[in-house]
Amino acid sequence: MASITMKNIKKTYEDNTTVIENLNLEIHDKEFVILVGPSGCGKSTTLRMIAGLEDITEGELYIGDRLVNGVSPKDRDIAMVFQSYALYPHMSVYKNMAFGLKNRRVPKKEIDKKVKAAAEMLDIESYLHRKPRALSGGQRQRVALGRAMVREPAVFLLDEPLSNLDAKLRTEMRSRISLLHKELQTTFVYVTHDQTEAMTMGDRIVVMKDGVIMQQDTPQMLYNHPQNMFVAGFIGTPPINFIDCVIRRKNDGFHAVFDRFDYLLPKRMYGSLSLYTDKEVVMGIRPDDIHAERYFLGKNGENAIELYVEIAEMTGAEYYLYATAADKKIVAKIPAGESVKSGSYMRLAVDTDKIHIFDKVSEKLICD
Amino acid sequence: MKNKTSGVKNAFWFSLLLLLSFIFLFPIYLVVMNSFKSKFNIVGTPFRFPDSETFVGLENYINGIKSAGIFEAFLRTLVITVGSVAAIVIFTSMAAWYIVRVKSRFNKAVYYLFLFSMIVPFQMVMFTMTAVCIKLGLNSVLGIIPVYLGFGAGLSVFMFSGFIKSMPREIEEAAMIDGCGPVKAFFAVVFPILKPTAITVAILNAMWIWNDFLLPYLLLGTTDKTLSVAIQITMQGAYGSIDWGGFMAMLVLAIIPIIIFYLICQKYIIKGVIDGAVKG
Amino acid sequence: MEKNIKKYFPVFLLPTLLSFVTVFLIPFLMGIYLSFTKFTTVENAEWTGIDNYIKAFTQDENFINALWFTVKFTVVSVITVNFFAFCLALLLTKAIKGRAFFRTVFFMPNLIGGIVLGYIWNLLINAFLGILGLDITYSADYGFWGLVFLMNWQLIGYMMVIYIAGIQNIPEELNEAARIDGASSLSVLKNITIPMVMPSVTICLFLTLTNSFKLFDQNLALTGGAPGRETAMLALDIFNTFYGRAGWQGVGQAKAVVFFLIVAAIAFTQLKITARKEVEA
Repeated sequence: MASITMKNIKKTYEDNTTVIENLNLEIHDKEFVILVGPSGCGKSTTLRMIAGLEDITEGELYIGDRLVNGVSPKDRDIAMVFQSYALYPHMSVYKNMAFGLKNRRVPKKEIDKKVKAAAEMLDIESYLHRKPRALSGGQRQRVALGRAMVREPAVFLLDEPLSNLDAKLRTEMRSRISLLHKELQTTFVYVTHDQTEAMTMGDRIVVMKDGVIMQQDTPQMLYNHPQNMFVAGFIGTPPINFIDCVIRRKNDGFHAVFDRFDYLLPKRMYGSLSLYTDKEVVMGIRPDDIHAERYFLGKNGENAIELYVEIAEMTGAEYYLYATAADKKIVAKIPAGESVKSGSYMRLAVDTDKIHIFDKVSEKLICD
Repeated sequence: MKNKTSGVKNAFWFSLLLLLSFIFLFPIYLVVMNSFKSKFNIVGTPFRFPDSETFVGLENYINGIKSAGIFEAFLRTLVITVGSVAAIVIFTSMAAWYIVRVKSRFNKAVYYLFLFSMIVPFQMVMFTMTAVCIKLGLNSVLGIIPVYLGFGAGLSVFMFSGFIKSMPREIEEAAMIDGCGPVKAFFAVVFPILKPTAITVAILNAMWIWNDFLLPYLLLGTTDKTLSVAIQITMQGAYGSIDWGGFMAMLVLAIIPIIIFYLICQKYIIKGVIDGAVKG
Repeated sequence: MEKNIKKYFPVFLLPTLLSFVTVFLIPFLMGIYLSFTKFTTVENAEWTGIDNYIKAFTQDENFINALWFTVKFTVVSVITVNFFAFCLALLLTKAIKGRAFFRTVFFMPNLIGGIVLGYIWNLLINAFLGILGLDITYSADYGFWGLVFLMNWQLIGYMMVIYIAGIQNIPEELNEAARIDGASSLSVLKNITIPMVMPSVTICLFLTLTNSFKLFDQNLALTGGAPGRETAMLALDIFNTFYGRAGWQGVGQAKAVVFFLIVAAIAFTQLKITARKEVEA
């Protein structure tokens, strides 16, 4: 059981490319933290620095109260699950799981007990004597988890552990890993590029880009209150709509205006917006916050507008509408109950209460 | 109709190949056959099959073993080959792993030096190498092992590093997290995965060292003869008075272990030779 | 982690590196230096500039002779070995009974060491020439063709195995497609098989080339250079200069450097060709 503290961490490779400039991150004991971001954002490097697989160029890394910068992986009391599983091909499943304990001179009987208990928990008891190559991807994945589990480490590191599985298995393993975290009561650090995984599993999500933490918060907060355009755009499917518009001050308050659209913004925003009067900003609105329901249109009639729907994609429970407004693509998500056709006009309304306004230059949130 | 012609064709090719096989085996047959004839009936009538008059049983073998010290030479060659191959497989695989995993300018330079050594003919370093090795006391049966390690490093490091480059790094990392230091991680996890390449490297080096002549001749001379050296100096040293029977027996004794080895590990040898050729 | 492994330099790299530097690198550099000196042991070298090189080419007809002999031998061996090996490979990739047996037989001579090989062929050739009352040292031509036969016997099986691997790598669909397109056996061979095994051809050409060029053991055992020094190839000539001619060690070393430069040029050409092929592919 341990917390992890990263202070002013810098990582530069041999060829002088700096992937992480100045990273500060605190991970609490027993927390399930997810590092998410596009490839090359430094999330894997961060995880590998925690593991001790990557040297730290500058800064301090603590596991618990111990400074571990120069400590080799084997002495860090961590376990790691790799994307490729990294099972030892020449050892049986049992030996794969027992290897770490054997290296730590745990008595044979105890090893046996632990391996069997973990195998039972992961439903891999019947494969214990097989070699990894005789297992399916999902089974290998579970062996990799088991190998980490038996060690009872203070920190559990997972590097894109589900990326090599098919969609169905991935959903199943997602809940299995969440459950595992509850049972083991250990710190989990989980790296993924998949925002669905991030949203469904973590206590806290750390969104990274180009080696910088863009925002760290609970899934709900990230979704509802993204602090910048990157986070807003990275999280949520289909992605949020960004629309360039101008802030106008009118008699009844501040409006966001573009083309023939004109939205009265909620009062809570006025304080922050006064500086932006007549300036260009970016309005963010999630597809789920653009509505076509009759009762909503009735209530917010002044926001509703006729849009040309190029394509209406039926996904079962809902429609994804790909519409154009003043040459801009706008995506909306509406319930399947509405009758929609591709290539037709349709009245849609924006829920102005859910609008996010971003600075056009710094891409940071102004208000939401 | 078609089947018939192709049947005839096949029979023709089969006979041709059979004839070729006889031609290929004939030199070996000739040596083996003559090794059972008395030493006076070899040079004059090499093609004649041993008869009651010329057949001497194992006499040549007994003489050969006794006079030329063939048995000792055989043991010596075995020790040198096994020792050197073991040293090459272990140390060059370790070196290759280190070079691939630790990226530095120094290691890169070392790697290219190893490659470079493969194209340098032995005659280029023959004289100076002999002087250096004698000065360092490497002119003994065991001392020659590090010498073979040095000369075998080029091809072996090259073959190992080719394989290691294609090997996922995560497996080693998992081992390090599982409590191994680099040495243990290498021997418990990396080396077992390298096994196919290790077999290839072992075979290529064994074939070279077992048959090598010049290096042991220069370093061990005529006191600690290996098989090739013993054969060469038997022939060289004895103008006119050569014991042809004993000599035939020596040739057969030198070939037999290779052929047995070949028939047992044919699959690995041929695979090793192809891999070695394609990569080297 | 890299730092962590780096500390283990003495365990992982040092043993191999130390041996390599001692038996190869230092002697190699010394060799280059000594080729510009007069010496009898490595300790009494006196700088003489390019004297040795001049001597090797002007005062030693053995060297020029060895160079020509080696080139002639190499050309003939490369052509014959590869031609026969390729034909055998074609035959042995067809559905013929006993393929495995034939492959085993043809490959076997390759494993026998050069010295032993040399004496086996010495016996064989002298046995045949003995019928005419001659032996292999009678004429340089006998030695030349003896070496060519020996080389063929030794290398055909080896090259054949590489060609077989190359031919078996050709996807069967390609042959089938050609047949559907109406190609005859000969046309399949010309338009499919040969172009597709070109990588193997390159490998085999250079293997036979370097093997023939550097030949020593077989040369020593089969003819020992006789008659006179007429059948001594480059490697043997260098050996003879070093150990058979007092005061000429420097010339021997200079010859060795020339020998090295030729072999390096061959290897470099191969590297270029392979690299170009890879770009094309």
